[in-house]
Amino acid sequence: MRQARHRVLALGLALVVAALAATDAGARSTATPPLTIYAAASLTEVFKALDPVQNYSFAGSNALETQIRNGAPADIFASAAPLNTQRLFKVGMVDKPVTFTANRLALIVPKSNPAGIKSIYDLRSKPVKLVVAGPAVPVGGYTLTVLKKMGLSGVLSKVVSRESDVKAVTGKVALGQADAGFVYVTDARPVSDQVTVVKIPAWAQPRVRYEIAVVSKSPNKTAAQAWINALLSAKGQTALKNAGFLPVPKTST
Amino acid sequence: MTSVALAFLALPVVAIFAQVPPGELVSALGSDAAKDALIVTAKTNLVSMILILAFGTPAAYWIATRNTRLRDVVVTVVELPLVLPPAVAGIGLLAAFGRLGLLGGTIEALGIDIAFTQTAVVLAVTFVASPFYVRTAVAAFESVDPALPAAARTLGAGPGRVFARVALPLAAGGLGAGAALAFARGVGEFGATIMFAGSLQGRTQTLSLAVYEQFDLDFDVALAISALLVLVSGAVLLSVKLLTRWRFASTSPIPFAPTTPTSG
Repeated sequence: MRQARHRVLALGLALVVAALAATDAGARSTATPPLTIYAAASLTEVFKALDPVQNYSFAGSNALETQIRNGAPADIFASAAPLNTQRLFKVGMVDKPVTFTANRLALIVPKSNPAGIKSIYDLRSKPVKLVVAGPAVPVGGYTLTVLKKMGLSGVLSKVVSRESDVKAVTGKVALGQADAGFVYVTDARPVSDQVTVVKIPAWAQPRVRYEIAVVSKSPNKTAAQAWINALLSAKGQTALKNAGFLPVPKTST
Repeated sequence: MTSVALAFLALPVVAIFAQVPPGELVSALGSDAAKDALIVTAKTNLVSMILILAFGTPAAYWIATRNTRLRDVVVTVVELPLVLPPAVAGIGLLAAFGRLGLLGGTIEALGIDIAFTQTAVVLAVTFVASPFYVRTAVAAFESVDPALPAAARTLGAGPGRVFARVALPLAAGGLGAGAALAFARGVGEFGATIMFAGSLQGRTQTLSLAVYEQFDLDFDVALAISALLVLVSGAVLLSVKLLTRWRFASTSPIPFAPTTPTSG
């Protein structure tokens, strides 16, 4: 008797979830179903401009990796660091990743520049509210590399917030809440009326490589691969270049 | 039908405890991230609760005892943060108290910098949690039998004495319940805090922000903190029920007696 009730209960819950899933599927069944693309937050503007009809989820690549690991229904995963795609590739959750673009880091300060930052080295001498991304977020890791190369790891004591993705860092600086933040040069462009870019010397730049892969469980693998091919084509590469991204480095094939 | 609804509500909560053995939950709570978050949460919520009680109690008494036509407007203003999306609360706080916000210049002129400090966390928590207290407190003061303060007045008690010696003790149960609800909401505060105060371990990272950060760093720690928050919330809800029962025991035998206009 008790067991029968349990079964009815489980069935009831499953039915409710199934009904919700059905409405979800109904909303999606258009002529060609759009792909669900999980992409690093720094790709927000360029991906939306390149192909506005797909479903995007932009966030820190580390958060997206965790979501895909937990079974998120993504078709494509585009990461701002090879680490996140490679980890999923090793456990068979994505197909072989390819490098599709590269980027550089910059320090941004609000237009009003309350802390008077003119060069990276000013971070050391001036009181400054510095915002970075968390160490597990790709841009947060790259920031640590830059500071280490420049012998400036000490300025980490001036960090007032560790954000979950690069757009959160950009927003805090653009709003003037923070005095400075490390982002990709491409993130400074959409907010160029609110922030000033302080350049990081080429010798201190980390190797920022973006990788993309088809998610192994995707039911739309052919369409997903076609989308990646389009991104690697001249048209896709031009769009990335126009947004300030760098071409794929020759050394990594 | 009832059991489906109950199971739906209970399952995610039970699942938090089912994922990790209790021993590991306890050891994960000993991690630096969890300990720091616990201290930050305790500190900021303590200050918030003091502010909410100090300002909210007289405000609630004022709303409850004036039969002003503006009552509905005032109550709506108080209630608004209750239903506002947390992201809207965060934007609002930035627009008001941010460095480039409405009061940003004034605050800076006073030599205070609240950006990314625990003060910012306290402001966020107070903003979202205070309606829970004020709303319940208004109801508690309104349910005090008006004959009792009226009697105190005829016996020569001034307004301050009526408030402190009659209304406050009679409404105490309801005030306690409201405070408990506000505390539970404050401890769980997430959206406004991450937007307005940022997230830095040991400084502004509260328990719910730590859950979010640990989600893709160390899932066990995230689960452990979640389990702790479930226990705290459960304890608060239980205490609200006990306090509410006490409230009805302590007020007049006719809890819904019509309020008569009080003479100012």
